Amino acid sequence: MKTLILKELRENVKLAVLGLGILALILALNAQKYSTILKNLGGISDSQQVYLPWQPLVSSDILIGFFCAIFGAVLGWFQIHNERHRDLWAFLIHRPITRTEIFFGKVIAGLMLYVLATGLPLIGFIAWALVPGHVAAPFQWAMLRPTAIIVLSGTLYYFAGMLTGLRQARWYASRALGLGVALFVSLMFQSEWHLWQALFLILIGGIILATAVWGGFHSHGYYRGQPAPGRLALTGALMPGWGFVLALTAILLVELLLRSPYSQTQYQMTKDGAIYKVTQGDGDQSNIVDLAGKPLVDSKTGRRIGTADFNRQLCIRVQISPDFSNQAPHGRWFDRDCNRFTFWRATPDTLWYYWGRYGRLVGYDIATRRFIGSLGPDGFAQNVAGDGSRFDHAPAHASASRRIINTADTVYALDLEHRATKAIFTLTNESSGATTLSATTNAANEAIGEIAEVSLNGNDWDYTIVVTRGYIRLLTPDGKVLWRAAYKPGYPDYNQIQVTFLDSRNQFALWLSPSWYAQGKAGGKLPTQVVWLDREQGVLKNTDLPELFHNGREFAREQKLISLSISPALLVMIPLINEQPRLQDIPWVLVRYSLATALVCLPIGWWLGLRYSLSLPARLGWAAFYLVFGIPGLLTFLSVQEWPARESCPNCKKLRVVDRDQCEHCGANFAPPERNGTEVFEPLTAVKY
Amino acid sequence: MNEQPVIRTQGLTRYFGAKPAVYDLNLEVPRGCVFAFLGRNGSGKTTTIRMLLGLLEPTRGEGSILGHDIRSLPPEVRARIGYLTEDHQLYGWMSVRECGEFQSRFYPLWNEQIFRAVIGHFNLKPTARVKDLSRGERAGLCLGLTLAPEPELLVLDDPAIGLDPVAHRSLIESMIYLTRRSDRTIFFSSHQLADVERVADYVAVLDRSVLQVCCPLETFRNSVRQIRLRFSSAPPPVPKIPGLLQAFRAEGELRLTCMHYNDATEQALRALAPAQMEMVPISLEDAFISYLGERGEKSFILSETEAQP
Repeated sequence: MKTLILKELRENVKLAVLGLGILALILALNAQKYSTILKNLGGISDSQQVYLPWQPLVSSDILIGFFCAIFGAVLGWFQIHNERHRDLWAFLIHRPITRTEIFFGKVIAGLMLYVLATGLPLIGFIAWALVPGHVAAPFQWAMLRPTAIIVLSGTLYYFAGMLTGLRQARWYASRALGLGVALFVSLMFQSEWHLWQALFLILIGGIILATAVWGGFHSHGYYRGQPAPGRLALTGALMPGWGFVLALTAILLVELLLRSPYSQTQYQMTKDGAIYKVTQGDGDQSNIVDLAGKPLVDSKTGRRIGTADFNRQLCIRVQISPDFSNQAPHGRWFDRDCNRFTFWRATPDTLWYYWGRYGRLVGYDIATRRFIGSLGPDGFAQNVAGDGSRFDHAPAHASASRRIINTADTVYALDLEHRATKAIFTLTNESSGATTLSATTNAANEAIGEIAEVSLNGNDWDYTIVVTRGYIRLLTPDGKVLWRAAYKPGYPDYNQIQVTFLDSRNQFALWLSPSWYAQGKAGGKLPTQVVWLDREQGVLKNTDLPELFHNGREFAREQKLISLSISPALLVMIPLINEQPRLQDIPWVLVRYSLATALVCLPIGWWLGLRYSLSLPARLGWAAFYLVFGIPGLLTFLSVQEWPARESCPNCKKLRVVDRDQCEHCGANFAPPERNGTEVFEPLTAVKY
Repeated sequence: MNEQPVIRTQGLTRYFGAKPAVYDLNLEVPRGCVFAFLGRNGSGKTTTIRMLLGLLEPTRGEGSILGHDIRSLPPEVRARIGYLTEDHQLYGWMSVRECGEFQSRFYPLWNEQIFRAVIGHFNLKPTARVKDLSRGERAGLCLGLTLAPEPELLVLDDPAIGLDPVAHRSLIESMIYLTRRSDRTIFFSSHQLADVERVADYVAVLDRSVLQVCCPLETFRNSVRQIRLRFSSAPPPVPKIPGLLQAFRAEGELRLTCMHYNDATEQALRALAPAQMEMVPISLEDAFISYLGERGEKSFILSETEAQP
C-alpha cells in the first residue's frame, strides 16, 4: 500500500500545489483587503463599519469553504479520472492487493494532499494574523473552530468527487449526485446547536461517502457486484442529491408558474399616534387602511394616500428584543464562534471591540495594529481583563448601541476618545423623579436585559431605553428617567418591544408583541398590545391588535406543493434539529402530503421490482425505502440499479431478465447458441514440454 | 502436474445494454499450453478477458481462473497472473525504471533480470519517460512488467496490436523465449495469425459473441478445406452443403471452403458433375479469414454480377 500511496502522492502533487497556490492567493488578497480597510477607515460610515471584516481569520470562512469544497471535489475526481482509461484502471486493479488496500492507498494519499493544500496556507495565514501588528482585532482559538470544521467538511467533497469519478452513470443523470451529501452536510452543520452535532453530521456523511467509494472500487463503479455495505452507502449517498434536485425543481416550478401574489400586511403608526394597516403587494403602492378598514385619504386631494406620502407621516420607532437568558454563551455554535467579539466603534486612531470572553471593550491602535488596553465598568486598563469587572452585554446585540453599555444593574456612557466610562443609571440608585406609568411586576428580579440609544434625527443621542424584567424605562442621555412602564405581559412570551416617538415631545407609544414561539404555541391568538403614554398624564389609552401574519399550522399552497417532492423523513427530521426538539414542531400537514407521494411511489417501485425480478426481501426493503424517502427514494432506486435487458423466453414466451440463469417465470434455462455445422470442439489436454 | 484447467468458464455471458457481447461461453484452458483466443473486432475477446480477470462483472454464468472464482480473485491469485492490456497504458509521468520499481514492490517473485532483458531487447532507456515512448516501446515495457513477476498464467490481450513489424517481431520473440516453461500457461488474443501459427497449441474462435471453435490448432487447420471444381461451362448454382463457409463462382470454376469435409461433402460436390475436382492447400490465415468472413456465395461471373440489382 505504501507504494500506491507514494504513487498517488507523486501523481497528484501538482494539483495539490495548484490548490495550495490558489488558497494562498485568496488568503493573501483577504489580508490585503483588510489592510486597505484600515487605511481607508475614515471614508466609511459608522453604520457600514459594523459589517466590515475586522478579523480576517473569521471573515475568510466563506471563501475557504468554497475553496475546500471545490478543491476537495476536484482532487477526488482527478484521483479516479487519472486512471479511468480502461486499461490503466485494469493495470491498477490487477495489483495483487485487495481493493480495500487500493481504496486506502488512494484515500490516504488524497487526504494528505488535501491537508497539504489547505493546511499550509491556513497555518501561514493564522501565523501571520497572530503576530502582533498585523491584525488589530481580538483573537481566541475558538474562533478557528468554524474554519477547522469547514476544512474538515471539504473531505466530504473529496469523497463525493471520487464517487463521481467512479460511478458508471451518465453525467446528466445521477453521476454527480454524491455531491448532495456533502452539500447537505455543509448547509446543516452551521445550523447545529453544538459543535459535537456538527462533527457527528460530518462523520456520518463521511462514512456514507467513503463506504460508497470503497464499494465502487469493488465493482468498478457499478452497483451490481458491490458488497452490501457499499450498496447501502451508495443508496444513502445519492438520496440527498435527488432531494436537492427535486426540491430545487419544485421551488423553481412553483415560483415560475404557481406562486401566489406577494402580500404582506403590518401595523404602522403615524406621528399623530394613529395606527394603520399597510398591505404591501407586488406593486409599488401599498393599500393603507385604518383599523376599521377605511382607506386613508390625502386631506388635500381627497384621494387615497400614496406610499411615499404615508411614509413621511410615520413616526420614529425603536425596536428592542430583550434577552434575559442566562445560558451564556448561547445560540448556534457556528454563530457563537464567529462572533466571539463584535466591532464596537472606531475613533480616528483606535478601534474598539466588545469581547465576550472578558466582557469588556478592547482597543487597538489603527496605525500600529497593536492592543492598547481595555475598558470595563472600572474604567480603562492596560491589560485585557482589567480588574475582572465585566459588562453584561450580549454580543449578538452589540450593533444596537454604540454610546452606552451596561452591566446587570448599571448603564454606562462610553467616551472612547478619552478611554473612559461613566455610570449614568443604576437600578439600585434610580432617580426618584421618574413618572411611573404602571406598577412594577417583579422588582426583586430586576436586571437589565437590553438597552438602546435613540436618535430622533439620526445623529444626536436623544434618549436611552432600558428594559428590565419589570419595567421599560425611557432615560435622557444623562440618565434621568423620564418614565417607566411595566413590562407586562412580560418576557419571554412578549419579547418584541417597540417604542414610537410621537409628534408631541411628551407622548410615546409602547408596543409589546409576542415572540414567534409563544404565538405559535397560542395558535396565533396573542395580540400585540399598544399603550399610548404621556410623560405627564401617564397612560392615555391602550388597544390590542390582532396578529396579522400568523396562520397557525396552516401552510401555503406553494409549501404543500413543494412538500410533495421532499422525503417524509426529512420533513420529520429537520424541525427536530433544534436546541430543544419538540414533536409539535413537525409540520404534520406537509408530512402527510409527502407521505401521499411516497404511497404513490410504492406501487411503481414494486412493479419495477417485479419486472426486473428482484427478490422478495429486496422488493420489501425498497418498498420501506420509498415510504420513508418518497420520490427521492424512488429516483435513487432508479439510479443505483443497473437495469438488465429483457428478452423473450423461448419456453414460456414471456420477457425474462438476462442476468438470471433460469427464467423467472418458467424456470427454463437460456437456450444454447444455435449451431450451424461449422463448429469445431475437441477436448483439450494439458501440454507437457 | 496439476491437470485442473487454469481457466474454466460455464455459460459465461455479458450483455452491454440489450446486446450480448459474450454469450454462453464454455471454455477450458489446460495448464501449460499457449492458447490463442481469436475473433474479429467486437466479437467479445477483450470482454471475456476482462471478465476472467474480475475487471468486469458477468451478466450471468460463472468462471474460475487458477481454481478461483473470477468474481472474487484474491491478491495471491492475481500475483500469479500476468496481464498485458491491449493499449499498453501506463503512467505517463513515470520513467521506465520507476515503472519497474513500482511493479516490483507488488510482486514477491519479481525477476529483475527478466525485466532488464526485455527492456534491453526493446532498447529502452531506464530514464525515459513513458509518455515519450513510442507505442512499440511502451508495448515492450508492458511486456517486461508483465513477465518479470514470473506469472503462472499470462493473459495477453492482443499484445501486438498497432505495432510496427520490428516491434511486433521483438514482442513475439520475447514472448516465445521468455515464457516457455512447463508450468506456465499463456492465454492470448490476437489478430496476427502468423503469431498464432508460430506459438499456439490451442485455438478458440469467438464469432459474434459465441464460441465457435475450441480445439488444437492443427485440428482447426485440418477442419477447414478448400476445394476447386472446374467445369467446362458455367458452374451450376451451389447446393446446400453442410459446413460450407464460402463459395466463389468464376467462369468455369467453383471454389468452395468447407468445414468438416467428409464423404457426404464429397458426394454432394461430385453430384455437381465437375470436370475436375481438387483440394487446394490453405494457410491458417486463409482458413481463419474464411471462417470468420462473410458466409455464403460470391459470384465473379460478369453476367451474373451485372444482373444483380
